This record gives sequence, C-alpha cells and structure tokens, in this order.
Amino acid sequence: MNPEIPTGSPSVYRRGWPRVQSLRFAMMMSARVGITPTLKRAAFISKHARNVALRSAVVRRGIQTESLPPSASEAILNHQRLKRPSSPHFTIYQPQLTWISSIANRATGGALSALLYGFSLAYLFAPGTFDSTHIIELISGLPEYVKYAGKLILAAPFAFHSLNGLRHLAWDMGKFLSLKSAYRAGYAVLGATAVSTIALVLM
Amino acid sequence: MSASTLLHAPLSRTFASTAGFRVLRSLQVRRAASSSVQYVPGGPVYKGTVNDPTTFPPPSKMHGSHHWSFERLLAASLVPMTAAAFVTSGSSYPVLDGIFGVSLVMHSHIGFDSMLVDYLHPRKFPFLGNFMKWTLRTMTLGVLVGVYQFNTNDIGLTELIAKVWKA
Repeated sequence: MNPEIPTGSPSVYRRGWPRVQSLRFAMMMSARVGITPTLKRAAFISKHARNVALRSAVVRRGIQTESLPPSASEAILNHQRLKRPSSPHFTIYQPQLTWISSIANRATGGALSALLYGFSLAYLFAPGTFDSTHIIELISGLPEYVKYAGKLILAAPFAFHSLNGLRHLAWDMGKFLSLKSAYRAGYAVLGATAVSTIALVLM
Repeated sequence: MSASTLLHAPLSRTFASTAGFRVLRSLQVRRAASSSVQYVPGGPVYKGTVNDPTTFPPPSKMHGSHHWSFERLLAASLVPMTAAAFVTSGSSYPVLDGIFGVSLVMHSHIGFDSMLVDYLHPRKFPFLGNFMKWTLRTMTLGVLVGVYQFNTNDIGLTELIAKVWKA
C-alpha cells in the first residue's frame, strides 16, 4: 500500500476523482503528470483559497458528487455485478467426445430414471389403470413400426448408459485416464452401444 | 513505474502470511459478515468484504468419501443384477427382483441428487434448490412404495419389461 496516498477519507466521489488532501500529494501528482500551472500556483496560496479554487473547478465542469460512507462501496459493487453480462461459454465450446459422452450419460440416466419414477408413482396412485395387464394390452394393440420405434427409444439409452457406466467405473479404478485411452474407450462404447441396441431391438 | 515497484516489495511479503492465515480460517465453518444484499440467482453477489474467501461445507466422510464409495459400489452391483434379470425371470427369484428394484431406485436417486447439486445448488438457489431437494426425497419415497406394491401385487419390474418387450 503506497503510504503517500491519503486514506481514511470520510467521503467518496462517485465519479472517482481523487480528493486532494495534502500539499505533498498535490506536488507529487503535478510533478509526475505535468498538470496545469494552476495547481502549482494553488500550492502556494492559502489552503482555503486552494480548496475554493478546486471546488469551483469541479463545479465548472458540471459533475455532481455525493458523499457516501465506505460501506456503500459494497452495495454499489454488488449492484454493478448483478447487471454485468457473462460471455458465452457453454454455447461456444467445441463438441468433443469427452463432454458429449458425459452429458449424454447424465441425460440417458435421467430419462430412464424419470420413466421408472413416472411409472412407479402412476402405479402407486392409480393401480387399476397402470397394472401389467392393461399395459401389455395397450402395447400389443399398437402397430408393428410403433413397437419397433418404442423398443429403439428404450434400448439405445439403456445400452449407452450401461456401457458408458462401465467406462466411468473403469476411470474410478484408475484406467483409461489419459486423453488417448479415454477417446479409445469412448469410441468402443459407441460401437458397443450400436451393436447392443440392434441386438436388443431384435430380441 | 514506481507504483509497480511499490506493489512488489511489501505486497509479496504480506500476501504469503495473510493468504496462509486466511486459508486456515476459511477451512473452518464461519459465519460470513452480515451483508444487506442477498445472494441472488444468477448474480455474483458476495458476502462479507472483497477479501474474504468463499466458505466451504464442513468436512464429513458421510457426505464425502463414504458417499462416493457407496455410489460406485451400488453402480457396480447393478451390472451382475441386470445380467441376472436378463437371464432369469422375476417370478422365479422374487427376492432378487426386489433387491434389483430397490438398487435401481437408489441409483436413480443418487443420480438425480447429483444433478440438483450441479444445477440447483442451495447456495445459489436458496428457495428452489432446497425445495427440489425435498421434492426429490419425497418422490423417491413414493417410488419405493410403488415398486414394492408393483412387485408384491403384480408381476414385478423385470417380468413387466420382459413381457412388454415380447408384446
């Protein structure tokens, strides 16, 4: 912390103009930046006259200032942060096998679990409509292509989630952790998923 | 610039001691200094002063390493159980069917809980996060009762899937 900059000022100017408190600081500033000769002249006249000169200079430029306590800085900062936009991150990341397979694992697991939860709760609240005989009747009445489509929609997420789950458990045991082996395992999972899905649909 | 040289000398010395002290302090659970601005969803509002680090949850093996191990063991146990369910029928081994159903529901609950922790953390979503956490717990309870009812009064989950697949 620079000891020459005055601290403990009881007021904060909203536009960020530094409050000149000491003569020494004024001289230092004018020496560095080469500020107007008016300040140098002001350094040699009385303090009151100098303050009047400075204040009138500020007023002449039409800037409104307001005295705030230091605790107000936190409120101002939080309000600014709430209004700040965030740059695109999730929408611009290049699709890669690593994160696509990860989110697909989560999505397939979530979808299958939602189906399990939905069916179980439906059976709990309406066992008459959702018991096995009604369901089997309903499904056997559907056309063949709908049945095959339904099997595909159920088999593909199940196969992918199970096989990618095995890949995940392998990571937990310390295997396939390099980028190359993670990609190889990922491609193996995709191939095995395709084969398993076809096998399950034709079963 | 003289300003940068001023920054290097005293700042590096003070940073080492204060950073170490602050890290030790932040590891304990401590109540943040009161702030009138609440943590708003989507808003990067901070509590305390600008220099306070984030707080951490209290270390707990039940919510940490034990939870992780249980999750992996459960997922691993689902592999042989699913294979067995494929091979046998649910009516022949009702106990296995029951254990399989309960394990499946527990696995789903842990998965949903991870999604809530990732996307609706109570720290950022104080009302919605906690509300969804308890909604999930209630629903899991209902699902467990429903699975028990279905396995007891009806043919059971594995049998249902087998029959629907051949329907």
